[in-house]
Amino acid sequence: MGRPKAALEWHGSSLLYRATAVLARTVDGPVVVVAAPGQELPELPAGVAVVQDPVEGRGPMQGLAVGLTAVADRARGAFVCSTDLPFLHPAFVRRVLRELTDGVDVVLPVARGFRQPLAAAYRTSLAGLVARLLAEGDLRPGMIFQHCAVTRLEDEDLLADGAVARLDPALDSVLNVNTPDDYAAARERELPEVTVECFGALARGGGHRPRGVRAATIGAAAHAVGLTLDRHIVAAVNGDQVTRDDRLPLVAGDSVAFLSADAGG
Amino acid sequence: MAPGGFFGRALVVDVRGTRATGTPLELDDRVLRSYLGGVGLGTWLMHRLAPPRVDPLAPAAPLAFVFSALVGTPLTTSAKFAVVAKSPLTGLLTDALASSQFAISGKLTGHDAIVVRGRAEELSVLLVDGGEVRLEPAPELAGLPAAEAETAVKERFGRGWRTAAIGPAGERGVRFATISHDGRHAGRGGLGAVLGGKNIKAVLVRAAARVRVADQAGVLAAARDLRERSFGPATAKYRELGTLANLLAFNAVSTLPTRNFTAATFEGAPALAAEELHELRGVARNSCASCSIGCEHIYSRKGGGSQRMEYENVFALGPLCGVSDPDDVFAASARCDELGIDTISAGGTVAWAMECAERGLIDEPWLRFGDGSALLRALDAIGAREPGLGELLAHGSRRAAEAVGQGSIAFAPQVKGLELPGYEPRTLQAMALGLAVNARGADHNRSGAYEADLSGALDRLEGGVAHVAAAVDTEDRAAVMDSMILCKFLRGVFEDPFPEWARLLGLVTGWDLDGGELRVAARRIVRAKRAFNLREGATAADDTLPARMLETPLELGSGRSAALTADRLRSMVAGYYVARGLDEDGRVDPADLADLLLEA
Repeated sequence: MGRPKAALEWHGSSLLYRATAVLARTVDGPVVVVAAPGQELPELPAGVAVVQDPVEGRGPMQGLAVGLTAVADRARGAFVCSTDLPFLHPAFVRRVLRELTDGVDVVLPVARGFRQPLAAAYRTSLAGLVARLLAEGDLRPGMIFQHCAVTRLEDEDLLADGAVARLDPALDSVLNVNTPDDYAAARERELPEVTVECFGALARGGGHRPRGVRAATIGAAAHAVGLTLDRHIVAAVNGDQVTRDDRLPLVAGDSVAFLSADAGG
Repeated sequence: MAPGGFFGRALVVDVRGTRATGTPLELDDRVLRSYLGGVGLGTWLMHRLAPPRVDPLAPAAPLAFVFSALVGTPLTTSAKFAVVAKSPLTGLLTDALASSQFAISGKLTGHDAIVVRGRAEELSVLLVDGGEVRLEPAPELAGLPAAEAETAVKERFGRGWRTAAIGPAGERGVRFATISHDGRHAGRGGLGAVLGGKNIKAVLVRAAARVRVADQAGVLAAARDLRERSFGPATAKYRELGTLANLLAFNAVSTLPTRNFTAATFEGAPALAAEELHELRGVARNSCASCSIGCEHIYSRKGGGSQRMEYENVFALGPLCGVSDPDDVFAASARCDELGIDTISAGGTVAWAMECAERGLIDEPWLRFGDGSALLRALDAIGAREPGLGELLAHGSRRAAEAVGQGSIAFAPQVKGLELPGYEPRTLQAMALGLAVNARGADHNRSGAYEADLSGALDRLEGGVAHVAAAVDTEDRAAVMDSMILCKFLRGVFEDPFPEWARLLGLVTGWDLDGGELRVAARRIVRAKRAFNLREGATAADDTLPARMLETPLELGSGRSAALTADRLRSMVAGYYVARGLDEDGRVDPADLADLLLEA
């Protein structure tokens, strides 16, 4: 690529910003980025933590060990992904995490013809196993699966979930960006279709009624309905966090509410 | 000489048998400057005049109408008064604000407060005409709605009087009865029952004095400036749609309490939304006296007539009870006005009863979520204190749950006995703290921490240190606005509120004060409220939320859940105590008591 993937521009922020923000709006627990030694990271959404990988050059297994260890005291399971999944959808993440039931150590999607260890769910208690495999010189993620209980999710398993079938029917969640052409093609894709509603004083002339727009971020959705997020106007996606972050990524099927910051009273 | 805007005295009216006597109580400059007026001064008066552990409905329990330095000035939204007493609902301090001409005429009787004690022999009206007080029997007013009582006393006593009255629920001691004036209500905490306990249907005041302000020209200039600013974007919401604009927005951000707080979104919300009703049924917009905002939005009712609707009455009588037909909600709201009961407590208590009925905990099979007719029937039963359900619910959800038992206290939607307003604590966790620690009980006007939750500046789903700071700050601002008194709908026009408020107050009173002194006054007022509650038996255990809020997460539209655990709330409460300078049990430091000026 010629540049670190994490910092690749993505609709006003970066691929890393998008990936972490999508996870933050999807899971109830912490979101952690594992940074390689000396790696400079682009700006991250509020609340996303960074842990430093002390060892260089040991690939994703090392990152997995560091990341699982970092959240083990706060979560029993974690969704683990690489930074270069520009179409990762919350419905996909939820589908995978839902399968991480008692007795299951790893939920491994086998989507679009490939195993997806970097779009998978892991028990955080696997941190020790991963560290041991690394110490034994095993740097391949696939080795983990020989030592623990793995549930595989084929395309049909993933698409059996109504939300995934509706919102990510081609399983683009696992589509990664490995070449400049991949990146260019990803940027050329049609923007996700979302529903926008405006409330209170922002709803003049029937503006509170749902409208469909195409937008990759909250800022773009605001622009589409003639608004700008500022100290007077905030937004919420799917009834979740209230935010003024106009870079917050949107995905297909999102519902965005714009309201006056003085709501209440 | 009293500072500008004040008379330097309260009138303490003792009612006994068929007579009332008035005694002036001097209010020195130090007390006025320390407590500012309104809710602050009312709190000080309760410390001085309420016998410890007095039954709120007993004759000895005082009820204070309290004015402020700004009342009667041309400053927009300043025509407000506070009513302060010990609440029959919570057993703790309660205070409520109402607007309009009663404030101006009451103050111009020549008093900064009018305190009523005692009990009349028969249902009466109390007249305060300057320094003269008298009691007039008024048995003919029995059972009348407050608005009709106002009309009746106007005919009987002539023009020039302003009236605060109670409805039939206040006469009958419903613990969440209101005091009303000109269609506005001092709504929360059961103040109407306190007045009813004195056998007083209405208090009439007539102006007889003038009040001096320190800098007349300065006040006029400030009033012009404030009025101009009140037409700006910070008040647009209130002008254009009123508080009902909250409903659809709150629904969209999962903070619209629904079916007794079992959900935070309501499928019937669009039918009740201001955005829809404004287009289809909006008929008028009104203002309180001396107000340039004009937040009251009036809607037509099916079959004729009209009704003022606010977010809180629609939330409580609509989604909270699962009712989505606007005509049912309009009718229920009108019924609350006629009976003279607080819509929030009424809706909360009925919603709790609906859940009890659906769970089979009470034998009222007709009482179901979503049934507008059942809601009206329950309200009537409360207003009449009908044996059975009416009598049970007339005491509010906490006492009712204590009577019903079977674990129903876990979902009684109350804090300290006061029913929760329309802000879901699990998705507004700064507000959750504000609701838990507030002296009045679960309340959105004395703690506006929802502002921080909805600002996007903090994580509203995970309360922590920032939420404590937000709760303290908004509580401080409310303490000053409720004491000086300005309408909170004006709050957005102040860029730097404490210094700006200090300047306004300085122009009226002549005090040389700054924003820092007002912050100190705010903390004093909050501490004084807590000190009163502690005196009346409150403990740290009261600073909490219903178990439902702490044990049952809410599912959000995003697929995530909103959970507020008991541990997290306890941690925030502990942080609040530290920020307020309280000990670990929420008690006021004895060293701070001297600052409260409570010694006689």
